[in-house]
Amino acid sequence: MKKMWLIGLNTFRESMRKKTLYIILIFALIVIGASKLFSFLTAEEELKMIKDVSFSAIEFFGALMAIFGSLYAISTEIERRTIYTLLTKPIRRSDFVLGKFFGVSMIVLINFILMTVFFIGLLFFKKSPPDLQVFKTLLLIFFELMLISGITLALGTFTSDAFNIICSFFLYIVGHLTSYGKELVERTENIIVRGLTDMLYTLVPNYENFNIRDKIVVGLNVSWGYVGWTILYGILYLCIALYIALYFFEKREI
Amino acid sequence: MAIIETRDLTKHYFLGKKKTVIGLEKVNLQVNQGEIFGILGPNGSGKTTCLKLLLGILFPTAGEAYIMGKNPHDINMKQHVGFLPENPYYYDYLTGPELLRFYASLFSLETQTTNARIEQLLELVELHNAKKLHLRHYSKGMLERIGLAASLINDPEILILDEPTTGLDPIGCRDTRNLLLQLKQQGKTILLSSHFLSEVERVCDRIAIFHRGNLLALGTLDGLNKQYQATNLEDLFVKTISSFDNQEAAKTGDVT
Repeated sequence: MKKMWLIGLNTFRESMRKKTLYIILIFALIVIGASKLFSFLTAEEELKMIKDVSFSAIEFFGALMAIFGSLYAISTEIERRTIYTLLTKPIRRSDFVLGKFFGVSMIVLINFILMTVFFIGLLFFKKSPPDLQVFKTLLLIFFELMLISGITLALGTFTSDAFNIICSFFLYIVGHLTSYGKELVERTENIIVRGLTDMLYTLVPNYENFNIRDKIVVGLNVSWGYVGWTILYGILYLCIALYIALYFFEKREI
Repeated sequence: MAIIETRDLTKHYFLGKKKTVIGLEKVNLQVNQGEIFGILGPNGSGKTTCLKLLLGILFPTAGEAYIMGKNPHDINMKQHVGFLPENPYYYDYLTGPELLRFYASLFSLETQTTNARIEQLLELVELHNAKKLHLRHYSKGMLERIGLAASLINDPEILILDEPTTGLDPIGCRDTRNLLLQLKQQGKTILLSSHFLSEVERVCDRIAIFHRGNLLALGTLDGLNKQYQATNLEDLFVKTISSFDNQEAAKTGDVT
């Protein structure tokens, strides 16, 4: 556990020195800040717009950070051959993989907190302090980002960077569309199309489950029960992703 | 007593479509405790493959490898081993002492021991004046020296060095050579790979010559020189490799 933490801390320190993540963060803050430009709307509509744009920006730019952070976490160590100096130390390969995941999670968390603080500051500035529903939305976004990190990391243990980035974005997009796809396909009687959709729906995590912002923005309430089950759903898929990462990395030759 | 041992150690790289490249073919080696053992060979001869198999970075196609009687993936065994990779790269944003501290933490060394080791090793590799310099500003020779220090951070009983003098100037080579002899006097076992014959000739108690994944010769330099009627290591090296190439050519009917 201690060695996993040390690897994680090293990953975190290394990533914090990469400019890519700062650029993404700056873009996110600009987009969140820009939501205030809708001041020509009524106060209520403007608040809805700020929440909608901010939630979307936190989720989208957070996903970019999660994908890029995880993408290079293992491949950079291999490319620069620093991995030789790590795996020849008394650490398990599982410590290395899980340490990398913790390191990336810390980066995602720090950036998520910065974006959230900025967004909440904006709400206070608009004299509309965030309610519990806002925090529920943010909590689910955070778990979605963790899941995206885990999946990208898992793909990185057995694919190239180029294939990984394509797959991660593909899964991110498909994961947001599967529920719509399933609804559409239920109208068809073609067994193959229905079978393929069912398979995709089961294999690809349904990221849309983590999206409650549409309801929150229009003032609907989402129960803690739903939030809890969705978090469990995310943890289950995350465990599967990390298991895949460990399985492939244990066998990987470097 | 053999502290490092391989038994019919074999590594084939599968390139798809039934294409296979031989990395190592049934290699039997025994490195004795307290000796400096050199693996020699041209590029692509299997030197690094052999070291990687011993360290558990690669998995053998067949055969076995043991360090201190343990398999290469044994965590407790790794506590006693130091490794310097070829052309080492490290974390750019760290300073020399930070890098050594990070590696020391992976060996779970106590803070006091770590601090003392860092001071001692930086002095040893003459990088004590570069304590505040980030590794990205290090020259190739400095990286090699900090790598050597990093491989010694746990005061290992066994030191495995892949091309330890690559990138070093003549003075750096001499210092490394002296350091290896000093470590041998302390009772350390050193396994190194190199294609610098003169370096190997000066420090190694026994040598092994690899070519195309095969172990061609194994023994003391004097013994091998007599066996192959060679005048020096270079002569021995050329003779063993040419002899192997001729035998292989004869097998395929391509005699030159």
